[in-house]
Amino acid sequence: MMKTKLLTILGMGIIAVTSCTKYPPSSGRVTQDLVVYTQYDVTANFNEYKTFSLPNTVVYINGKDTSTLNNANATVLLNRIAADMKSRGFEQIANTAKPDLGINVTAIKTTTTTVYSPGWYYGYPGYYPWGYPSYGYPYYPTYVTSYSAGSVIIDLVDLKKVVNNTVMIRWNAFIRGLMTNTHTQADITNSVDQAFTQTPALKTTP
Amino acid sequence: MKKIFLLLLIFGLMHGLVQSQDKPASMGFIPSSYYTFSWNTTFTMGDFNKWVGNASPAGFDLGGRYFIKGGLVAGFNMSWQRVSQIYTNETYFLPATGQAITATNYRFTWMVPFQAVIAYHLMPDKMVSPYIGLGIGGDYMEHHLLVEEYDIYKTRWDFSLTPEIGALIKLGYYSQWGALVAFNYKWTTNQIDLYKDKSSKNLQMLNLKVGIAYIIR
Repeated sequence: MMKTKLLTILGMGIIAVTSCTKYPPSSGRVTQDLVVYTQYDVTANFNEYKTFSLPNTVVYINGKDTSTLNNANATVLLNRIAADMKSRGFEQIANTAKPDLGINVTAIKTTTTTVYSPGWYYGYPGYYPWGYPSYGYPYYPTYVTSYSAGSVIIDLVDLKKVVNNTVMIRWNAFIRGLMTNTHTQADITNSVDQAFTQTPALKTTP
Repeated sequence: MKKIFLLLLIFGLMHGLVQSQDKPASMGFIPSSYYTFSWNTTFTMGDFNKWVGNASPAGFDLGGRYFIKGGLVAGFNMSWQRVSQIYTNETYFLPATGQAITATNYRFTWMVPFQAVIAYHLMPDKMVSPYIGLGIGGDYMEHHLLVEEYDIYKTRWDFSLTPEIGALIKLGYYSQWGALVAFNYKWTTNQIDLYKDKSSKNLQMLNLKVGIAYIIR
């Protein structure tokens, strides 16, 4: 009888100790919700910039294929970015009118977990429409994404200060979970708004 | 596992009650010591509750008590506890680098408390012996903020005080097995400052312990 009790206690103790995992199960904590990541150049004075230009298409990268999106989702995305920029005091002008800032919008389809920094995709032909050979970052953004999801990257390019034939990115946003078949246009609007909301420094005096 | 644990506890208590029906109330013994193994449920309070609001049944406690004189006992407690909660659409800022990320945040704190305990048992020779006690010691805590795949965490040691009330319940007049039910309030010097714009200080919690005891005469 005593041996049974001791074995019972010992068994419970072993179960208890082995169940003392530090991390909760990943199935309960990793979700496929929208993720909005932003980073801006903390040395930039956004008050120096007054105008911006926006293309009328979104660059679409699927694996090694590059094309452009100009469907309803792309329109909603571009219009929302323009509206948010205007709400921060910037004036939208044509690309040919020498804007202070250029905006590139890229949609990427991913199917696996990936960690990448933004330099890798700029080599795609036709991606960079401004006529400058390369991008530069005053910071080091890194994006992590996973699952079968679409991601959207918004880059705010400084066209006013070109250094060594390189344009600098002053702000960028990475939104995971957009441009898929499951998202809604409200998701696009809300996530673009969130990207601006979490960057209060991105504003200018008109 | 918890169901098995509860079933065993209920079985043990019933076994003790059945034994108690055919014994005179004056019988019993003052133990020389006892050891406890308890299932611990944590209820966060104050600032700690702002970090994780959920009560957590993920916890165990191991204790030992030695009778010094009459009902006065001294001993120790070692535990393992974890509290966790998911928060959607939380924004994590890194002002120095201009970074911000809005995503589902999974917050959890993993702790290993250890304390010296002094307590006073009322009616130590009876089948049900209530007690009041105070634990003094420290905790090792890890506070984790999981933002999707990112794990942002800090490790902290602290000083803690834990007043406790409870009862040791013998499962029979001559049985060396018993049950333990205890409730305590814990105050610590630990803090959480993973979010740059908000912090939690002097973490506090309530703990409910239900377990078994091995009693030595």
